[in-house]
Amino acid sequence: MSSVTSSFEVHGMSCASCVGKVEKAIGGLEGVQRVHANLVSGRVVVEHRTSLTPAVVAHEIADLGYEVAGTELALSVDGMSCAACVAKVEKAIMRTPGVNNVAVSLGTGTARVQGLAGILDKGAILAAVRELGYEASEKLDGRAQLDREQELRTKELRTQTRNMWLAWPLALTVMMGTFQEYWIFPRFVPAFLGSNLVLMLLTLPIVLGPGRQFFVKSWNGLRRGVTDMNLLYATGIGASFLIASLNTVWPDAGFGGKEATFFESAALLTAFIILGRYLEALTRGRTSDAIRKLMKLQPKVARVVRDGVELEMPADEVLLDDIVLVRPGESVPVDGVVVEGYSAVDESMITGESIPVEKTIGAEVIGGTINKTGAFRFRATKVGKETALSQIIKLVEDAQASKAPIQKLADYVAGHFILGVHVLAVLVFVGWFFVGYERFFTPETKFLLSPYTLASMGVFGFSLLMSITVLIISCPCAVGLATPSAMMAGTGKAAEYGVLFKGADAIESASRVKTIVFDKTGTLTKGSPELTDVVVVDGGPTSDELLAWAAAVERSSEHPLGEAIVRGAEERRLEVPPADDFDSVPGHGVRARVAGRDILLGNLKFLRENHMDPGPLEQEAGDLAENGKTPMYVAVDGAPAGLVAVADRLKDTSISAIERLHRMGLETVMITGDNRRTAEAIAREVGIDRVLADVLPEDKAEEVRRLQEGGRSVAMVGDGVNDAPALAQADVGLAIGSGTDVAKETGDVILIKSDLMDVVTALETARATMRKVKQNLFWAFIYNTAGIPLAAGVLYPLTGQMVSPELAAFFMATSSLSVTLNTLLLRRFRPTAARRAPRDPMPRPSTQTAAVTSAH
Amino acid sequence: MESNTNRVAALIYGSISLGAAALFFLVTSLTGDYPPVARVGGAVWILLLSLIVTMPIVIPRVRSRLIPVRVTRDERPEPGATQDKSRHH
Repeated sequence: MSSVTSSFEVHGMSCASCVGKVEKAIGGLEGVQRVHANLVSGRVVVEHRTSLTPAVVAHEIADLGYEVAGTELALSVDGMSCAACVAKVEKAIMRTPGVNNVAVSLGTGTARVQGLAGILDKGAILAAVRELGYEASEKLDGRAQLDREQELRTKELRTQTRNMWLAWPLALTVMMGTFQEYWIFPRFVPAFLGSNLVLMLLTLPIVLGPGRQFFVKSWNGLRRGVTDMNLLYATGIGASFLIASLNTVWPDAGFGGKEATFFESAALLTAFIILGRYLEALTRGRTSDAIRKLMKLQPKVARVVRDGVELEMPADEVLLDDIVLVRPGESVPVDGVVVEGYSAVDESMITGESIPVEKTIGAEVIGGTINKTGAFRFRATKVGKETALSQIIKLVEDAQASKAPIQKLADYVAGHFILGVHVLAVLVFVGWFFVGYERFFTPETKFLLSPYTLASMGVFGFSLLMSITVLIISCPCAVGLATPSAMMAGTGKAAEYGVLFKGADAIESASRVKTIVFDKTGTLTKGSPELTDVVVVDGGPTSDELLAWAAAVERSSEHPLGEAIVRGAEERRLEVPPADDFDSVPGHGVRARVAGRDILLGNLKFLRENHMDPGPLEQEAGDLAENGKTPMYVAVDGAPAGLVAVADRLKDTSISAIERLHRMGLETVMITGDNRRTAEAIAREVGIDRVLADVLPEDKAEEVRRLQEGGRSVAMVGDGVNDAPALAQADVGLAIGSGTDVAKETGDVILIKSDLMDVVTALETARATMRKVKQNLFWAFIYNTAGIPLAAGVLYPLTGQMVSPELAAFFMATSSLSVTLNTLLLRRFRPTAARRAPRDPMPRPSTQTAAVTSAH
Repeated sequence: MESNTNRVAALIYGSISLGAAALFFLVTSLTGDYPPVARVGGAVWILLLSLIVTMPIVIPRVRSRLIPVRVTRDERPEPGATQDKSRHH
């Protein structure tokens, strides 16, 4: 038995004993001839018999507690036409060494292979796919991939167009020749066209030209033990043509004679299948428009300043920390931070925000956006594959290449359907041969929608026709397209509105969501507190004075609430005096001397500890807290003088988003660490159904799990690191784009903007996509469901009519056409947020000054 | 190994399909008055469809079963070997 050498990249070996442990354990495996572990390079080289798979060795290493490095390979696979092709390619790839997992997407024509680093053999995988008759190559990056895809698509379209031009004129001529003696055809169809020999010669180029692909592909699969739809076509076309040719050359051989030469069946059957292929090639191009649009945003050229010299270079050659110059009207080539200049940048292509965003020193710029007015220089912070645009493209690509559970089911059904259909074809043949023909055959037998009579048809020809028609009409070619085409259109459409689904399964999960949980801070609210109220006691300082003094004290503090007070004073253009003798009591408050006065700012406890009675201010503070605000007492020279309140305000679209989610029938939940009173005040304002208050960050995931226990599908919307476990626990996690990287890594959906209406957009798009998937599957199966009994001759005993193979092919092509057109309708989908005219900004809580009468 | 697997698989699916075709031919010869062409043509059609049905079923099964069977036979531990290897196969 032959042996091979496999090299594993192993992480976690830290000492010589690790090496010994690995070598001993692996050396003990059956089939291992030699093993050598290298601590420095972190590699384990194993010479083993071919009988022992690398996966077993990797499993053994992992069992020892070390990590065997995995790798991923992306391939472009061209020439797949149905769900069975997908199953065929997946099967072939899984058989190659080192492969752990593979996902093939018919829609994008890609295969994502996961396996063991060092073992996964790209060449072997490509060869395995090519051996099946498909074109395979490693998937390229960015623009090169775009060019290659366009090239392949153009090639596929050109091939199918050429096939159409060959198949259809010839097939129509064959059809007219077949019916030369009927209806008005004798008037303009020359008699020689009715000759069987001429019809055979006209059909031959169709079968050997456009039809050849079906024979080659089905044989390539069959000899490896896999079937696909090409097999149905090949048996249908082949049998029709063979019988017709036999009846032409040897009419007395007993296959039905001269009257049973159904060349038009073979010809039109091929023509209809080619039409289906042509339509699929068109659809595949259109549904991946979104990714092409995104790729086109990638700028080609950058102006980089190096050593004081301005250089023009390809954008992908810009290095980290390069200083890049952008002039008006030019695209920003990579991500970075502005270091010089001022301008307004149109970021609508990335964020969907239609108003240009002002950029001054320190502002972040995104690659792919367009500079509008001024010139500026920025320092490159993310280049190449790290830029936001590249990440977005990768996310959309991955999503389009992934498989939804419903698609896996459809592929499985379609893959096994082919075998089932052939078994059915045997049963139909045997049934009509032994029983049906003798009992029901009449010389008046006709094809449905055809003047053609089949009087001289023998038992074999009749049974064979029924059998062939069943094969053709059963072909689930539209099933393969139904799900991926809609998923591609859906993810692309969502990306247009700034919603990035990480996978097709995320769309499916999002469409089923019944409960949606919102993190409060940074998600429902802006995440940074703002000054809302200033309350002064009667006879005390004015509200401006009180605020200025409070700001003076807080200016030395770094507390977020203090920053809100300082910002509030600045917004009112108050003159904030300097403060001396600053003192901070953590968890209580701060004090300082301002303009010759002792100013104290803090909570009630702080006030009482300093022997002061809040008086009526306590009631006022309670009211403010009731409304979700955080009140702070201000005392001047030992007497309470007023209150300043801050609150984390709701985002502009929070209320309208929640309202829309309710209209969609969703239950809304808010999860927060705030106390119940404050949390409920915010929930009331925004219209949330349920509040989960006093929840510690580490308990958020547990709360989501509890909600799931009720049997409801739960979505979680969050932005912070502490939301990550809950995002992962939820059936679908939606991460706010402005949030932390951890949240974005964990979420299944990324909302590029921080607008909560995008949550609505995500769920609406997911629902629309899944609706489309279900409709497509309906259209894909309805023809088969209705057609199979008809083709099997269920109605024949009553009507004396049977379905011709070409009519069966027409049904089949119609099913593909229905799916194609239905998917294209998704391009017209517009989410609520896009349909709304200029959004109604939510009325902000006003910063009012209330006066109360002090008891003092 | 690969070609041997293919030969074994071909033997199995070929036998099943030929058996089905022969059965068809036998039944048509014994029952009814079917013309020879119908009997032969029908048997060929049954053979073709049977091949199409059995090939995808037989080939993967033979592949997955035959290889481990050969492995355990060829790689049987030497007498006296103490290593526990059974859990991997």
